[in-house]
Amino acid sequence: MKRKSFKGYAYLAPVLVIMLVFTAYPLVKAIFMSFCENYSIINGSHKGINLENYKDLFEDKLFIRALGNTTLYVAFVVPLSVVISLVIANLLNSNIKFQGLFQTLYFLPYVTSVIAIGVVWRWIMNSNYGLLNYILGFFGIGPIGWLSDPKYSMTSLIIFAVWKSLAFNIMIFLAALQGISPDLYAAARVDATPRLRVFFKITVPAMMPIIAYAFIMGIISAFKVYNEVFSLFNSKAGPVNNEAITIVYYIYDQFYNNYKYGIAAAGSVVLFLLIMLFTMIQRLPGRIKAKKEAAQK
Amino acid sequence: MKTKKLMALTMAAVMGASLLTACGGGDAGTTTAAAGGDESGIQPVTITFWHGMNNKQEQSLTELTNKFNAENEYGITVELVNQGSYSDLQTKLMANAAADTLPDMAQAYNNYFTDYVDKVVALDDFVKNDYPDWDDILESYRTENSEYGKITGVPFNKSTYLFFYNKTMFDELGLTAPKTWDDLKHIGEVIKEKKDLAAIGYDSMCDMLEAALRQHGEQYVDETGALFNTAGGLETVQFIMDLYNNGYARLVGEDNYFSDSLSNGMIGGYVGSSTGVSYISTDIPGKEFELGVAPVVGDVKNAAYNAGTNLVMFSKDANKQKAVWEYMKFITSKESTLKWAMDTGYLPIRTSAYESDEWKNFMAQDITAQAAYEQSPYGFVSKASFTGSNEIRSVVSTTLNELITEKADAQTALDTLVAAINDVLE
Repeated sequence: MKRKSFKGYAYLAPVLVIMLVFTAYPLVKAIFMSFCENYSIINGSHKGINLENYKDLFEDKLFIRALGNTTLYVAFVVPLSVVISLVIANLLNSNIKFQGLFQTLYFLPYVTSVIAIGVVWRWIMNSNYGLLNYILGFFGIGPIGWLSDPKYSMTSLIIFAVWKSLAFNIMIFLAALQGISPDLYAAARVDATPRLRVFFKITVPAMMPIIAYAFIMGIISAFKVYNEVFSLFNSKAGPVNNEAITIVYYIYDQFYNNYKYGIAAAGSVVLFLLIMLFTMIQRLPGRIKAKKEAAQK
Repeated sequence: MKTKKLMALTMAAVMGASLLTACGGGDAGTTTAAAGGDESGIQPVTITFWHGMNNKQEQSLTELTNKFNAENEYGITVELVNQGSYSDLQTKLMANAAADTLPDMAQAYNNYFTDYVDKVVALDDFVKNDYPDWDDILESYRTENSEYGKITGVPFNKSTYLFFYNKTMFDELGLTAPKTWDDLKHIGEVIKEKKDLAAIGYDSMCDMLEAALRQHGEQYVDETGALFNTAGGLETVQFIMDLYNNGYARLVGEDNYFSDSLSNGMIGGYVGSSTGVSYISTDIPGKEFELGVAPVVGDVKNAAYNAGTNLVMFSKDANKQKAVWEYMKFITSKESTLKWAMDTGYLPIRTSAYESDEWKNFMAQDITAQAAYEQSPYGFVSKASFTGSNEIRSVVSTTLNELITEKADAQTALDTLVAAINDVLE
């Protein structure tokens, strides 16, 4: 028995070492740094261990804006993306022509670099020569300064991010759809059930675990949004004064451009706590259900 | 089963080895020049040079470096490593300073290494003992490289901010390139009225503010904070806000640089880097125009913003330091700086290069080089050798953007700018 477990650990060791060096150590170090006033990454010196960084962080209007923007981003991007991809996945799963072609097309955003996509979207959303304003012009709308008017910064970012995140969700939803037993649909057809009813009574319940998974993964990655901002606004966080700044962008900016390592660390600890909190809340229903089932047994 | 075991073992061995080498990188050495200026007995060596040059700039740098590698008598090989853009270079240098794995040399602005200036090799002894004509290098560049109280680098790719304008439009409206603040206001009025366009834009807002302050005889910022909370400072900010509030000037918005706007006939002119001229197209069908280039305006004084990086040395090894210095001497020589400037649109760094026949012939056909030469006597470099200088650049730009968007009055604008700058340095 003991020999066996030793062998197990030996196999795990390489991964454990990597995890310790690249995940656990930075985590502990970041938490430590966040309590060091005027921490220097170069020689590790600091002025003292206190809560100064956290005080500065919450007194910084930019961080408060980053918190607000990130919350707004999560609240819109995740649900919109899940609902839209659910619909698209269903359409793709039905008997349409060129099904394979469409599946590939919808998956393309996932395998393309965000930076490259950002270049294209900057052109689509350009206020003077952009495609979006050109189309809106037919309906007598605009021109709207999607990327130049601070009022629209968050809207543009959310539109871009929803489109970008569709691909992954569509893929996992398609996989889940193909896993639903055809018998259920056959039974529904015998009863001449309306299609909408089939969707809500069979498809959605059968996909509930995967939808929950998409929500959790979506929320975690949405809290960490950075690439989308960076690429859409061409390495800035908004057209005028950081209108679309997010928490990770703020952390990056403080660390690499302003050389305020301690404040950056404090920001990342706050982000870590936020994500942990949301993940715990989301896992709550599952846990309660599991407990109930255990009690029934 | 056996193969699996073997694989696991090999993997573990490889990973262990790579961890070891990663830790062995930082040897304890000195960051002062070991034997500055003594070029005798350089052993053949390869040095790494991190840069952020692309396209034809990278091509020219490669040509120069190949020439050095082929011709130097010591067997020194310089290996160029492209790190992407300036900001990529800046972040990579910082991360490597923390890990103590800096390259032997790199391109850098002074504000890259405010936090690790002690890792930059002081070049004073090298310059004193082994650089015959240091005084030939333009004074503003020598000053810039001595800001930290030691010589931290040699000037390399230097540019200056110039006024690029639509000469066809100016001719049509009977305008000439502005020389003073009043000229600029007049041009703004005319173009606004006749064409309903802005006459001017600035690619870099913080540099615009500093240049305007200096033109008005004021000072900008140092390590103690903002220095323009004065009557003259208010007048300067008033002038700037008037330009924008009257629609004579506009912000760059989503384009990042004004070259596209100028190419498309959507602005009268703009102030941007002399190296940006290659991004201006004068032959878009239906929008063809003749490009004009002029020195930037002056007020009570002339002041033109100079930009561009220097070459700094990080190597701790005495032999490598000497090798890097050989390369630095080569790249800053009259011949190299001339070739570099003619290839890339950057400016020569030496007086003798400026005065050479080659450069004069080149200028005769190059209006950008001409304008740059005209304003070279009053070029300045922004002070960057203090903590917070990099943050101030971004804070001033974003704050100005916001004030202009809100159409703030001059007093509010001044107070907000001063507070924002002082807040960084607190």
